Formats: sequence, structure tokens, C-alpha cells
Amino acid sequence: MALQGDMALIGDMLQFIGVFVSFSIAYVAFRGVRHTESSSLLRLATAFVFLGFGFLVEAIVGLGQVVPSFSLSETTVVVGGLLLETTGYFFLAFSHAVDVMLSKRMGAALLVFPVISLSGTQMADVLSFFAFYFVMYGVVETLYSYARTKKPDTLLIAMGLSLIGLGTFFQWLATLYQYVGVLTLLQIILQEMGLLMMFIPVLTFRSMGGVKQDGPI
Amino acid sequence: MAQYRTQVRIIADVLSTARDMNTEGEGVGVTALLRKGNMSYTRMSKLLSELVGSGLLLELSGDKISKYMISEKGIQFLAHYYAFEDFAQSFGLRL
Repeated sequence: MALQGDMALIGDMLQFIGVFVSFSIAYVAFRGVRHTESSSLLRLATAFVFLGFGFLVEAIVGLGQVVPSFSLSETTVVVGGLLLETTGYFFLAFSHAVDVMLSKRMGAALLVFPVISLSGTQMADVLSFFAFYFVMYGVVETLYSYARTKKPDTLLIAMGLSLIGLGTFFQWLATLYQYVGVLTLLQIILQEMGLLMMFIPVLTFRSMGGVKQDGPI
Repeated sequence: MAQYRTQVRIIADVLSTARDMNTEGEGVGVTALLRKGNMSYTRMSKLLSELVGSGLLLELSGDKISKYMISEKGIQFLAHYYAFEDFAQSFGLRL
């Protein structure tokens, strides 16, 4: 998305924070998979790998606008980045969906958000819309989990996801009204704030000593 | 509401029972593990063999019955399990 001057630079720096946070979460989740062979953690790790690469692509596209010699075919790459990001959000929502099926609950939360007609919209609009839908589904399920466990970190994740959801909503608006650069910056700021909140479980995990040995037991 | 238990959750339950009920250091019998583990004798026997084989449990053979005690490796496994369970729960997920 088109940002100009200093705003573009700030946006890019923030995108790289998103890359770091996403890959950090994916790393801890993958270690969890190796230790526990948990499919939930595998889906979580997959989600954040996709998100990390999605943010990376967007940051590189942004960098291409700041550094002239770094030019890329923007539309294709932006759609590619959005596709990665949306896939990441899909896996994040899918983790909850599987959890719902395992506990034999109905995925009523899926019905909370009405499916609207998408005909005539562009690919980027569609992807941003789906990203928003998946994130909001994740928010509902995470809040449901919080109601069950009363774990403060779960509430933080729900709040983080809400900010990301709001960010993806602005991203959607930004794809519709491409001349509004502020919307894109606002989207990145909200998204990064949300991701930083999601980084807290990684910090908690580290402060508890993490896991010293790698590999299955 | 009944919840589906994954294999790793069942292993963690058996190991934590073997750890918590071993108050006198003489190990825990199959009956106690069955009571807490909520599974059939056949399934429990198979699981115990696997856990002893992988070094997570120690088998203390008595005159008539075997008793089980959690090993150092089992204690490490539980610590890792709880750390990752906490991490997954933060994201609203179950292991």
C-alpha cells in the first residue's frame, strides 16, 4: 500500500517488528510440537510462519518504495503478501475450529459474522476481508477460552487479536480507498500493537526458563 | 462436558499421578493409576509398557505386583508439557 516519506519508513520498521514477533511465536510453537507432538501447536506454528512471511513480503514491498533501486512489481507482490497473511490468519482460526470440533461444541461463533457478497471486488479486497473474518473468529474463540480458563495471558491474546482485527479492517478500507495513506499506517500500528501483545506468552515462556533440551522425549 | 484427551495429555496424566501418589517412595500400583487415568486395564498396561520402554517411568518389580515410579526423564517431560500447555492456553488452545 502506498505510504510516503517518513511514514513509509516507520511503517516498514514496524513491519519488521511483526516479522520478528511472528517468527518468535512460531519458533516456540515448533519447539512445543517437537516436545509434545501437539497438532494445536503445529497449526499455531504454521499460522505464524505464514504471517511472518506475509509481513516480510509487505516490508520488502514497502522498502522498495523507499529505496528506488529495490523496485518490485508491487501489485503481484502485495497480493502475494496478503495471501500469505490471510493463510496465516486462516490457520489461526482453524486451530480454534479444530478445538471446537474436538470438544463437540458447535462453531456458533462462525455464524456471528455474516458472509457478505464479494462479487466485483478485487483480489486484495477479498483477501483483506477474509483476513478480518478469520481474525475475528479467532477473537471470539479466544474470548470463549478465556471465559473457561480465566487466564490473563489468554485475555491479552484476545485483545491483541482484536487490535490485529481492527488493523485488517483498516487494511481492507485502505485497499478500497487507496489514496488514504494514513489508513495503511494506522493498520500497521494497530497490527504491530496486537502482535506485541501476542509476544507476551513468548516472554512468559522464556521467563519460566523455557525448555532447555530440544527434541522429542 | 466430556473432553477429548489427546495421547500426550493421557501420558501427562499418568506421569503426574505416578509422581503425586508416590508419597512413600515405593511406587504406585496399576490400580491407583487406573483409577486416576480413567482407562481400561488393557490400554493402561500397554501405555505403561511404552512409558517404561521410553524411560519416563521406572518399574519396581515386587513379589506379586509391579509398581511404577516417575523417572528423572519423566519429571523433565512433565515440566516441558506444562510449559507448552501454558503457552498453548495463552492462545486459547489445548495441547
